[in-house]
Amino acid sequence: MTRFVRNAFIVIGLAAWTASAPLAAQEIIDILLKNGHVIDPHNERNGRFDIAIKGEKIHRVGKDLPASHAKKVIDLGEYYVTPGLIDLHTHFDAYGAWLNLQPDHHALTNGVTTAVDAGSSGHKGFEEFKAGTIDKSKTRVLALLNIVGAGMYGPEVEDDPEQMDVEATVRMVKKHPEIIVGIKTAHYEPVNWIAIDRAREAAEKSNTVLMVDFRPKPDRGYRELLLEHMRPGDLHTHVYSQRFDWLDENNKVKSYMWEARKKGILFDVGHGNGSFYFRKAVPAIKQGFLPDTISTDIHKRSIMLPRANMATTMSKFLNMGLTLEQIVERTTVAPAKAIRRTELGTLSEGAEADIAVFRLREGEFGFLDSGRSKMIGNKKLFCVLTVRKGEIVWDTEGLAATEFTQAGPYTNFR
Amino acid sequence: MRTRIVSATPPVAVVLAALLAPPICAQPVHDLVLKGGHVIDTANEIDGVMDIAVKGETIVRIAESIDVSGAGKVVDVSGLYVAPGFVDLHAHPYLCNSGPLFPDDVWLTTGTTTLVACGDAGWRNFDDFKAKIIDRSKARVLAFINIVGKGIAGMEAEHDISDMDPKKTAAKILEHPDLIVGIKTAHYGNPDWIAIDRSIEAGRLTDRPIIVDSGILTNTGRTTREKVLDKFRPGDMHTHFYNDRQVEVLSRFGGKVQPYMWEARRRGVLFDMGHGAGSFLWPVASKAMADGFPPDTISTDLHQKSVRAGAPDMPNCISKMMLLGMPLAEAIHRSTVTPAESINKFPEIGTLGEGETADIAVLKMEQGIFAFKDAWGKKKMGSRRVRAVMTVREGEIVFDEDGLGFPLWTESGEYDKIP
Repeated sequence: MTRFVRNAFIVIGLAAWTASAPLAAQEIIDILLKNGHVIDPHNERNGRFDIAIKGEKIHRVGKDLPASHAKKVIDLGEYYVTPGLIDLHTHFDAYGAWLNLQPDHHALTNGVTTAVDAGSSGHKGFEEFKAGTIDKSKTRVLALLNIVGAGMYGPEVEDDPEQMDVEATVRMVKKHPEIIVGIKTAHYEPVNWIAIDRAREAAEKSNTVLMVDFRPKPDRGYRELLLEHMRPGDLHTHVYSQRFDWLDENNKVKSYMWEARKKGILFDVGHGNGSFYFRKAVPAIKQGFLPDTISTDIHKRSIMLPRANMATTMSKFLNMGLTLEQIVERTTVAPAKAIRRTELGTLSEGAEADIAVFRLREGEFGFLDSGRSKMIGNKKLFCVLTVRKGEIVWDTEGLAATEFTQAGPYTNFR
Repeated sequence: MRTRIVSATPPVAVVLAALLAPPICAQPVHDLVLKGGHVIDTANEIDGVMDIAVKGETIVRIAESIDVSGAGKVVDVSGLYVAPGFVDLHAHPYLCNSGPLFPDDVWLTTGTTTLVACGDAGWRNFDDFKAKIIDRSKARVLAFINIVGKGIAGMEAEHDISDMDPKKTAAKILEHPDLIVGIKTAHYGNPDWIAIDRSIEAGRLTDRPIIVDSGILTNTGRTTREKVLDKFRPGDMHTHFYNDRQVEVLSRFGGKVQPYMWEARRRGVLFDMGHGAGSFLWPVASKAMADGFPPDTISTDLHQKSVRAGAPDMPNCISKMMLLGMPLAEAIHRSTVTPAESINKFPEIGTLGEGETADIAVLKMEQGIFAFKDAWGKKKMGSRRVRAVMTVREGEIVFDEDGLGFPLWTESGEYDKIP
């Protein structure tokens, strides 16, 4: 959607809102989400609102919308309601490399309606990924294309500069601009800058964002990467990994991190199996060095012990002191902006109805990091309901379900 | 309830090792001890607070109090239930018309250490299934081989009788006798018995049970009665039996379980839950349970559609049976011992017997208000729920929702090395 169209929507929306007209008497609403605690940073909402869904779109957001004309009314008084989340770092090329998972099972059940695959495939395998998984999923699956043509199939291809064809990569991005939102480089071990520089060149030429997974070496430093090899707006993922030397001996965040942030480098969580450590994240957050975007790096290994799904990853940050609003911002508006898809991650009227509903439980919960060490927390988020394109695709508490005795005959036996 | 008593004395080797061990032992006595949990292991008639000790991949001791000095890892599981890892007879980890799921992220995280692919592959693609899924998974993946050579490859393929070859199917079973535990026929809707007959033929050739999913109704001319009394052999299974479109469990008029169902059960025919996205319906299940007709085996039929609809993982199915009045221990029995027996894998799986593989589920009983949705999305409210919080597979903690088995980050010293 162009900026003009979006602005037009905002103007129309504002006009409708200032007139504060009630729902037109004859209007039929498909689903009315009633009285939930809405957190929608894009529209600066943080309080009790009703959300009316009509067809695939968010029709109205407001206070006390009438229930009488809704086909289905769901009372969300006990829950938080957010825009469908955007997970900026996933691995959902389910029938590609072994570590990948299926998107719908892992995204929609966590309130994630937009999953960005972070370089599982390159230009050689992308169309198979698209046909086999992206086109068949209810989840909106976007992709960062790996600069390695073969994709994530191990060091043999990922360390091979011959695989890094800028022109072919750019061609594939331009062929699928609605899906491919950027370029990824990852796992590159040889001590030179070829992979990062080619990936950045492909991002430049396709006018998209670059996401970097980086292996620092004595002669290839992290500071140099951030300040000399990345552009403002580019993302460094796995920021809380043990690999990087950005905490000094007193656990103070080094000045180059602030300098990089000032320059516009974005720091993404990318939790994963080996990239999220409380001993890095806790001191950084205490000093105000928060991640720009919260993402999971969900795959077959990270989903097991570290539980790198979205709801658990968000809960870890909640227990490290971020507010729910800060967390929702980093899983909606911020990733949408990072991939230049600002029509996503919002509950604006007219937007596609992608919505997540969470229960915030209190109690004692343990959370493991990538080092298999735990933090004890007292809050945990559970995704209970997800709406994708106006359809309820996950409803674990049966909020939208009918009691079976009220359901009429639905078997041969009455 | 059939049970098997396993000796409570430690195996001789363990006693000898303990006696011969020097005072400072390089090797821990036990690698893992689960301490203070309420153990339910029906095969060994255990239903009470016990400790479980694991060495390597094996359970070496279950006793009221096990000395943990020198143990590698001790996990306090007090307040939780401990059961054998579940055995899910109806899984779809390779092929399914509604889309398959992967074994570890779906089954190991729900206390299920053994899953049986229910006809995903036939003799033509079993080797591909083995290479791509079975050999790469941490979970134990077994299989009912499909009588259709191509497996669950869409309705057209599943009705191609020229691809239902008992001899080729039997040959593939004998090539992988440890992995292939029986024969599946599914979705066959023609008005004849060919699919079932050929499955039984493959079963005869290999001495294995068949498991049947078939949408037979009385008005097709083939009755449930004929299917379960005349066709099935003792030990053969019908899955999806709480869906009255496959098996007419109940009389439409009186709401009672049909006499032929009781007779089939007496004959040794087994009825499997196979919840799925169409086959566990509250009106059928609640009437059948009220009349005393539980499933022999509790199973999920998890695939990409059912996993987000009724979300019928093993703890969810167990919770649903409890809601219909089944005691927890019985639900666990029907999720461990009976499925293992039905595929002739008991007692090497489905028990916490000393000397067996350490496949263990740790469960939490939660109180609250829960909605349990059946396969058609209709709910029944309940106040108790069983949830898997930890899974041990071959002695290794592979899932641990609350990190019970791991140290605090502030006290953990050097972190584990992650590959």
